[in-house]
Amino acid sequence: MTGEPRKPFAAENLPPVTLDVDVLVGRYADRPGPVGDPAQVRAALAANGIAAAAVASLRAALFDVPSGNDEVAALAGPTVVPVGAVDLRDPLGAEREVVRLAERGVRAVRLFPDEQRVEPDFPSVRHVARRATEAGLVLLAGGDVRRFWRPLRGATVVFLDTHFYHLGDFVVIARDEPGFHTSTRLLNSPDALETVAAQVGVERLLYGSRTPFYEAVVPRLRLAHADLDATAVAAVAGGNARRILGVTA
Amino acid sequence: MIIDVHAHWGPWFFSMEVGQVATNLAVMDRYGIDLAVVSATEAVIYDVAAGNRAMARVLAEHDRLLGYLTINPRRLDDAERDLRELLPTGRFVGVKIHTDYTGSPVTSPQTREALALVAAHDLPALVHTWGPTPLDLAQACADIPGLRAIAGHMGADGWRHAVEAANSVDRLWLEPCFSHTEAGRFAAVAAAVNPRRLLFGTDATLIDPAAAYGAVVAADLDPELGELVAWRNAAELFRLDLGTD
Repeated sequence: MTGEPRKPFAAENLPPVTLDVDVLVGRYADRPGPVGDPAQVRAALAANGIAAAAVASLRAALFDVPSGNDEVAALAGPTVVPVGAVDLRDPLGAEREVVRLAERGVRAVRLFPDEQRVEPDFPSVRHVARRATEAGLVLLAGGDVRRFWRPLRGATVVFLDTHFYHLGDFVVIARDEPGFHTSTRLLNSPDALETVAAQVGVERLLYGSRTPFYEAVVPRLRLAHADLDATAVAAVAGGNARRILGVTA
Repeated sequence: MIIDVHAHWGPWFFSMEVGQVATNLAVMDRYGIDLAVVSATEAVIYDVAAGNRAMARVLAEHDRLLGYLTINPRRLDDAERDLRELLPTGRFVGVKIHTDYTGSPVTSPQTREALALVAAHDLPALVHTWGPTPLDLAQACADIPGLRAIAGHMGADGWRHAVEAANSVDRLWLEPCFSHTEAGRFAAVAAAVNPRRLLFGTDATLIDPAAAYGAVVAADLDPELGELVAWRNAAELFRLDLGTD
């Protein structure tokens, strides 16, 4: 019996992702890469077994907040949970946008400090985090967790850029901060997922891919091979994100 | 068959427990990796002589691991002694040079001298590269007769430089491991360089093989190129007798 030659590299039986916490539409002007057209992003998600995603707009993060957030709001549906963005370089505009987002039923606001070249001790960060928390919004935060933990204390946060190099720092602050969670995107060492689960609980881990800019299969592959039971894997693959974002559909 | 050409044995200074040989074997099993070429983290980060000897003891007991003898370019006397004493074990198949931990860029006189020593022993050298430094390694290949070098991480975020580097000489190989898995990175490199210059490396047990393995999966290589990347190119470069065709 003959068939197609078997590829030496294959990823089979990966867990389905019911909600990816880190997806973007739009483009970066300062680097090569995809333009982040929404249709292409949806196709990439489908190709990677990702049923739904928390999606934010680079147009909002880099250029114009209201029109970018409106662009994402228009994508809302079974596969897209819109996430607002604010510009930390404009804290006065950001506080207005937080109110507008909350009034429109948005569940989360994403912070882009690296892209906006905002440092953790800038007053804007603490102020916007407080206003978002008062409005009942979850924060999805870029930036180095070792520095951005301080202005985000007391909030419900998903740190999107936690690298396994900094895992110990995340764990010791998460012990004191019940609202601190982390994306799995850069937790790609042999025991990082297991360490978070053992130290602060698997409910703090949320699958994040950063589609279309990162390979979505990598954190999915890592999760598939994690020393976690099926219930825990399902929680990481979307259950935890659905819980903290209040997504019931 | 999959051969990982960039792996380590030993502990790291981060919050992780990955220093046992059992961890090497476990992560290899996770992804169907048959053989891994490993260097001792102690040799890479701190004490090259002690680390190489500890590595030799591990290699003597584990057939699925092959060794890189680590050279610190600042300790060339150690290098010459280690090559003389440890190569006869037959378990070391290449040399590892980490430019950052030794404060020795590829362009430094000591690293150039180390690479010449490696070439004189007719061994492949896995050299840490980042950003534009694959171009420096390509220049070393051009300048040092017989040098065969692997650009570790294929320049990481500088992979476009790695493409240029690999296309400028015929003795430079690329392997993809990097904890940041930019979409399309390996596919772009695979489409732009000689397929005989592509290898598979993971940086385990610092990085889980998921990162490199997933990057290669995402590139959706045809089966023939997949086999070159998985093991055929590595077997040829390291002159391994695998008992295959």
